[in-house]
Amino acid sequence: MNTAAQKNELIFDYSSGNLGEAKSLFVSMYLFLNSVAAKKASIFDNILADNLADLDEVAPKKINYKDCITATSKENLEFKISKNYTPLTNLIGSIDKLKWKSIYKGFREFNIPFHDDDTIKLIKMDPGTSVPLHSHNGKEYILVINGSFCDEYGEYKKGDMQINDQKIKHNPSACDTNGCVCLSITESDVIFFGKFASILNLFTFIKSFFK
Amino acid sequence: MFLLLYHYIIVLKFKINKIIMDNEKLIDLATKISTNRDERAFSELFDFLAPKINAYYLKNNLSFEQSEELTQEVLSTIWAKTNLFDPERSKFITWVYTIARNKKIDLHRKTKIKKVEDEDIRHFLYQNNKINDYEIGLSIDKIKKELDENQKKLLKMSFFEQKSHKKIAEELEIPLGTVKSRIRSTLNKMQKFLS
Repeated sequence: MNTAAQKNELIFDYSSGNLGEAKSLFVSMYLFLNSVAAKKASIFDNILADNLADLDEVAPKKINYKDCITATSKENLEFKISKNYTPLTNLIGSIDKLKWKSIYKGFREFNIPFHDDDTIKLIKMDPGTSVPLHSHNGKEYILVINGSFCDEYGEYKKGDMQINDQKIKHNPSACDTNGCVCLSITESDVIFFGKFASILNLFTFIKSFFK
Repeated sequence: MFLLLYHYIIVLKFKINKIIMDNEKLIDLATKISTNRDERAFSELFDFLAPKINAYYLKNNLSFEQSEELTQEVLSTIWAKTNLFDPERSKFITWVYTIARNKKIDLHRKTKIKKVEDEDIRHFLYQNNKINDYEIGLSIDKIKKELDENQKKLLKMSFFEQKSHKKIAEELEIPLGTVKSRIRSTLNKMQKFLS
């Protein structure tokens, strides 16, 4: 299966409400930053919404329109979208104010605390920082939020998404002068290759006991 | 014979009861709500939408209570946030669908982080394209034309009603492998019109 198809299917699953909370947030951000992806979601939303019109209707018994009006809080009525709103910062606040955890020089992480099988985190790489050559046990999804990174397959800019699986070994590095902030989802742990690989893999192995 | 007649009467009654509204009528009601807080317009909208949204949740295997509860939440959102609906960007029913879907996602959300409420508005933000864009309308028409009835049914069962492949296989009485391959080929077909 090629990556374009995988990306489309992720969008389809989002449109149908099929994704867990980590992936939902991830795709939400993807659609926010990438207008081509948003267009695709919009097409699929429209196709799915048409089913709503053709459903065999079931009138609710216990609710009426007045309840809906009285159930609405004043706050909700006066709701406005703030200028800096993004689906991500809405949940975790400003990216600049996060408490980043340093993993190694130039590479920091922030785990978003979801109770989900998928791990979702933000990654911050200083300019020129690279990640040792690695592949993935499960799939890894990376979305560029700011700056850009490069690997053997090309340059990924703000709003670009990369999906990696077992077959892909890569060696990404932050190639923008401002470095790079990415949102990442991992379905399972990463396998490292090359120098220090055995130590890094051992570390991942030990870490797995504490999950 | 009598049963058949009875069935016919029921179907006829059902057809008469089903309210039909086009996008313009819906937009007109939405505008009345957002500009004048028009409760009568909202009650019309409620009568049209509530049975559909409720049926959507029931199709998605939620209980009667949950379905009605979420239906109320969706309609409260519509009442409160019609001003955020932009007819230039989306058909009204599509907007309603995305709110209903987001409420369903939130129901299954295990993490209660602040402001889950705001999820309703996600759709406005990333729809920086316009739905009456020639390109989008064209893609939708092409996809609808290209897919046959069986493929549309599979999309509906799998993505709208969220039935598992196994359940679909049982209901349509076809092998599981066939369901999987047909869904895949339907998606592939759609993807041609997405790029």
